[in-house]
Amino acid sequence: MIEQRAVTTKPETQQPLLSVRDLKVAFPSEAGRVDAVRGVSFDLHRGKTLGIVGESGSGKSVTSMAVMGLLPDYASVTGSVTLGGDNLLDLDDRQMSKVRGRRIGMIFQDPLSSLTPIFSIGAQIVEALQIHQDISTAAAWKRAVELLDLVGIPNPDRRAKGFPHEFSGGMRQRAVIAMAIANDPDLIIADEPTTALDVTVQAQILDVLKTAQRETGAAVVMITHDLGVVAGSADDVMVMYAGRAVERAGVDELFARPRMPYTIGLMGAIPRLDDRARGALIPVPGTPPLLVDLPDACPFAARCPVVQDACLQGEPPLVALAGSDTGDEHAAACLRAAEIDGGAIGGTPIYPVPAVRESGVAAVPREDRPKVLELSGVTKTFPLTRGGLLKRKVGTVFAVNGIDLDIHEGETLGLVGESGCGKTTTLLEIMGLQPPEQGSIAVCGQDTANLRRRQDISAVRRNIQMVFQDPMGALDPRMTVFDILAEPLRAIGERDRRTLDTKVGDLMELVGLDPEHRDRFPSAFSGGQRQRIGIARALATKPQLLVLDEPVSALDVSVQAGVINLLNDLKAELGLSYLFVAHDLSVVRHISDRVAVMYLGRIVEIGATDSVFDDPRHPYTRALLSAIPLPDPVAERTRDRVLLKGDLPSPTDDRPGCRFVSRCPLHLTLSDPQKEQCRGVTPPLTARGGSDHRDACHFADTTTSTSVDN
Amino acid sequence: MLRYIARKAVGWFLMIVVATNLTYFLANAFLKPASNYTALRPPRTPAEINHSLALYNLNPDKPIIDRWWHWISGIVTHFDWGQSPTGGSVNDQVAYRIFVSGQLVLASTILAIVIGVGLGVYTASRQYKAADRVWQGLSVLSFNTPSAVASLAVVLVAIALNQSLGSTLLPVAGAQSPDVAGFWAVLGSRATHAILPTISLTFISYAGYHLLQRSLLLDNINSDYVRTARSKGLTRKQAIYRHGLRTSIIPVATQVAFAMPALFTGAVITETVFAWHGMGEYFTKTISTNDVHGVVAVAAFGALMTAIGAILADLVIVALDPRIRVS
Amino acid sequence: MAINMPGVGPDAEGLSPAAAPAEDPAKAARGGGRTSPLKLYARRFARNKAALLGLVLFALLVFFSVFGRFLTHWNFTEADFTALTVSPGVSGHLLGTNAAGNDVYAQLVHGLGRSLVIAVTVSLLTTAIAGLFGTTAAYFGGKVERAMLGFVHFLLILPSFLIIALVGTHYRGEWQVLVVVLTLFGWMLTARVIWSLATSLREREYVMAARFMGVSPMRTIVRHLVPNIGSLLIVTFTLGVASTVQAETALSFIGFGVKQPDVSLGSMLADGQNTLSTAPWLFYLPAALVVLLTVAMALIGDGLRDALDPTSQSGGRA
Repeated sequence: MIEQRAVTTKPETQQPLLSVRDLKVAFPSEAGRVDAVRGVSFDLHRGKTLGIVGESGSGKSVTSMAVMGLLPDYASVTGSVTLGGDNLLDLDDRQMSKVRGRRIGMIFQDPLSSLTPIFSIGAQIVEALQIHQDISTAAAWKRAVELLDLVGIPNPDRRAKGFPHEFSGGMRQRAVIAMAIANDPDLIIADEPTTALDVTVQAQILDVLKTAQRETGAAVVMITHDLGVVAGSADDVMVMYAGRAVERAGVDELFARPRMPYTIGLMGAIPRLDDRARGALIPVPGTPPLLVDLPDACPFAARCPVVQDACLQGEPPLVALAGSDTGDEHAAACLRAAEIDGGAIGGTPIYPVPAVRESGVAAVPREDRPKVLELSGVTKTFPLTRGGLLKRKVGTVFAVNGIDLDIHEGETLGLVGESGCGKTTTLLEIMGLQPPEQGSIAVCGQDTANLRRRQDISAVRRNIQMVFQDPMGALDPRMTVFDILAEPLRAIGERDRRTLDTKVGDLMELVGLDPEHRDRFPSAFSGGQRQRIGIARALATKPQLLVLDEPVSALDVSVQAGVINLLNDLKAELGLSYLFVAHDLSVVRHISDRVAVMYLGRIVEIGATDSVFDDPRHPYTRALLSAIPLPDPVAERTRDRVLLKGDLPSPTDDRPGCRFVSRCPLHLTLSDPQKEQCRGVTPPLTARGGSDHRDACHFADTTTSTSVDN
Repeated sequence: MLRYIARKAVGWFLMIVVATNLTYFLANAFLKPASNYTALRPPRTPAEINHSLALYNLNPDKPIIDRWWHWISGIVTHFDWGQSPTGGSVNDQVAYRIFVSGQLVLASTILAIVIGVGLGVYTASRQYKAADRVWQGLSVLSFNTPSAVASLAVVLVAIALNQSLGSTLLPVAGAQSPDVAGFWAVLGSRATHAILPTISLTFISYAGYHLLQRSLLLDNINSDYVRTARSKGLTRKQAIYRHGLRTSIIPVATQVAFAMPALFTGAVITETVFAWHGMGEYFTKTISTNDVHGVVAVAAFGALMTAIGAILADLVIVALDPRIRVS
Repeated sequence: MAINMPGVGPDAEGLSPAAAPAEDPAKAARGGGRTSPLKLYARRFARNKAALLGLVLFALLVFFSVFGRFLTHWNFTEADFTALTVSPGVSGHLLGTNAAGNDVYAQLVHGLGRSLVIAVTVSLLTTAIAGLFGTTAAYFGGKVERAMLGFVHFLLILPSFLIIALVGTHYRGEWQVLVVVLTLFGWMLTARVIWSLATSLREREYVMAARFMGVSPMRTIVRHLVPNIGSLLIVTFTLGVASTVQAETALSFIGFGVKQPDVSLGSMLADGQNTLSTAPWLFYLPAALVVLLTVAMALIGDGLRDALDPTSQSGGRA
């Protein structure tokens, strides 16, 4: 951050590097002309970072594609994009190819698909170099290895010869960054560069991006939906909604004093990792408009709690607000921006805070409540096969390796960990209701090993139901909502049409849907509504335990809040227990009573949520917590990060020892006999200080002094 | 690598053995070799007929298992595939017919792949433009034209051409003129005779490659890595050719193997129409003359071709796709 | 044309007309939601001019094969010995006669009908078998799946065309026998395609959800898997008609399919082969009909694929 500041001395006196004026992009579609970007203007100076924030469909990615000239031919693009004096929109593909890669480098969202599978990583970087520079292949290869070293790929000599499928997601994204900076560009566009990655890898990649920016002195456009990422990396922020910029300011100013109701809603809707009070989240009602035939009115008017008649009389332009100095201009596209102060108008908050329903069950002490789920020593392995054409078994993957956990009535257990840690496998083991390979699973006191007859299994099934991650994929697109919700009821033998009718109606009301819509197909509902249907279906058999697999990660933040509130209300009202699996620790902190952290098939730390989040003991938990970007630029700038090295290794063997050893920062500081203990002895989950907070680290006590803040 | 090929070859060999033996029993069940003798003058008694058939291991009175054992041991010990009901050697027939068919099938396969893939690339980069639509229409037509219609249409055109020129520029029947002598004259005659059948066989098989290559390449044109290649500074065309094409050609290689049986069927019709004495014509001849051993040899040949096609396709895929490693 | 770049272009899901009922709650509440997908498919299909042409062609061909016989007093088996190989229009024969004196028009009507009946029946049967087989294998997975696929692979290895010819010739060209053998050896490739698609459905969350709700396997297959590959089945059926016509034509052409006195387009082509230069109409007419039929089916199939596939490239081109 400090080095970056040094580069950007007095940007005001220079010509902006990139200047976008009144950029408009439209696509033809079945429903009519889609105005994806409707007049976006911004300037970007050398060495500066502009964050563009918005939800899906806000036009942020299309804007970057228009700058790169990568939109398909049938898109109509108007306005001007000036880079160092040239209007890029006037250039044809051949001329534009001289700009792409040379003056603008781009990093894409999905590193798994953005590299050509049949060429080696090195060859792809060499190609990027040789397109724009007249250098020999040997020299280019040497430079490619240097670049791979710069972006933190270990053994770059050897790895350059590797193919993309031999690289992990994080490593591929590093390679993409290496390609983007190969020709020392003036501008780097990063389009959701970390969305597809795990948090610890995200922290590494954001760090590499900063290194890349420092090395090249380039300006960066950082496109993301994650306010935390923006807070940590941007100098200026532009918030986009329905194809337009609705607010623009310096990062500190924007986060301290948001002036557009949409921005305020966005910030209020995200659960915060450093938020200890567990009040209800504040959802933004409604959904973004379709970008077809938009009326000349504020596009946010339909969702805005402080809408006035004037808002519908014409679309408010993005205007600079009085009181902001010219260097750090704050602009908002809201007629009432001047009245808004601290998220409130005249002292009344714009968004009313919903009431929290108190659970009656919570009054009873945890130990006195019955257990609804108990796992002890559960293990699940998969055979590891090698070779594309001739498959043979070369090892065993311990996806879940001896897990113990229990959930009491009326309690939410958050299960967190990075992809590949075994969360989903654990869920599927539980939902299968089969005896596990090792250990035991008991649902509502019934051991799955004792479930032989079909009636027994179906009796237990009534008590445990699942909500899935993808609200579209979880609902059969060819069934109406009625049939979807009636399916679990029919499966337990309910046949009477009238009873089904009433029950389906009740369920829909319970999750806040209009029972009139029972004959519609899932495609007629928005993402948040679909997830409500999924929850209603899970509740149909009146279960005691809901297993939720990333239930909000596919939703936009403004919608996510409503679903989280619904889950909290249902829990209080129906006395449900949740097993809540998520990678988003902020959401977990908000919703869980207890939390379990998984790493490579084992639980490394488990305990009451506040205890684990405030006083993390296992080095992995600490790294995980410190990797999460906070939507607060001041806190982001001051906090210390524990950056983990490398990626999640594959859990292929079952040797004794701590599995985190290869990446553990604490391990490096230990003495040799201690290191030996880490490698040779599997650390058991141990409680420290008698509380309900256990961790699996031999030396967790030794480091409490350097505990991470937050 | 060699071990991999060997394993694959053994697997295919077993399948060929199974297919061939099954065909042997089916052919014995459905074909009546005796009918070759029933129309003879003077008429023969069933006993006489069976006696004649017994010479060729076709006597229906002998148990099928015994006949099978005789037949299979002939193949295993001397690679002798038996005789036709009238005494002709299957080996002799197949030996020269394989070359006749081989040149036809090989030439048209290579032509079809070159034309099909070439057209696929050409039209994919001009998606929805006039050239794309015209070629697409033609390929849909040719893909759906039965080979009989295609072959006969080619013959009609050739006849019209020959008549207007007043000479037999393009012969429409046979693999060579019977009255030519000398190496070059024979070669020339064979080449001119091969033109029309090759054209008609190519016509019915190129379209499959064209349509497949086109849609695969179109999928790839919109892929993330072609976009990444463009973002590095390649023009759209360069990115498609350098990054999209090689990736999209991999499934086409597999298609070649699967197209083998269909091509064989196509060759049956083409050889019938153009009076070529190849394996395709042998197919119809053996069935209509109730030649059990000939039919089985045809089945074995077809299976062998499929196996060779499949192994070649696997090798091409391994060579093209670094994601697939056999070691 | 869809845009396959994530984040670029219109949000396909939000803008697809399938979402249209949401804008008109009153209509949707009356059950409009049920009919609208059909209407949408029809609209998308109708936008495809080639597919529409195929549909019209197919309708005309069916009409001709059913009602065409009322335009002539000749029966297709009757031989007019006074008029052998006469040109179209001579001696009251609309489209002439063949060497045996059969009325070509009457034969065309009957042959087309015969080809159609064989093709449609075979395609229906193969699609049904392939659909059930493929989805069942995919749903169960594991050992069941491996055994079922092994069976398919075994059948694929067999020289099916040869076996069909053997059986066909043995039964002297009875068309019912032809239907049986063409079906028996015609469903495997389709079953494989359906299986590979259905395996991706097996991993879908709604299928997992059904399993976790305790819905029985058969019910899951029928309620979830089959409807969701329904569009593929329809397309497969259409293209299957085209490919069966081709197979039947080839078989009859070399004499192992439909035989005298029965007539199909393939056997008529074989008739016309010998008189290409002297009586070309004996070739032209059946050739034209068979190509029209297969091309029409192919166009309909492609049109349906585009119309039923929500991610197809044909939608939304302006």
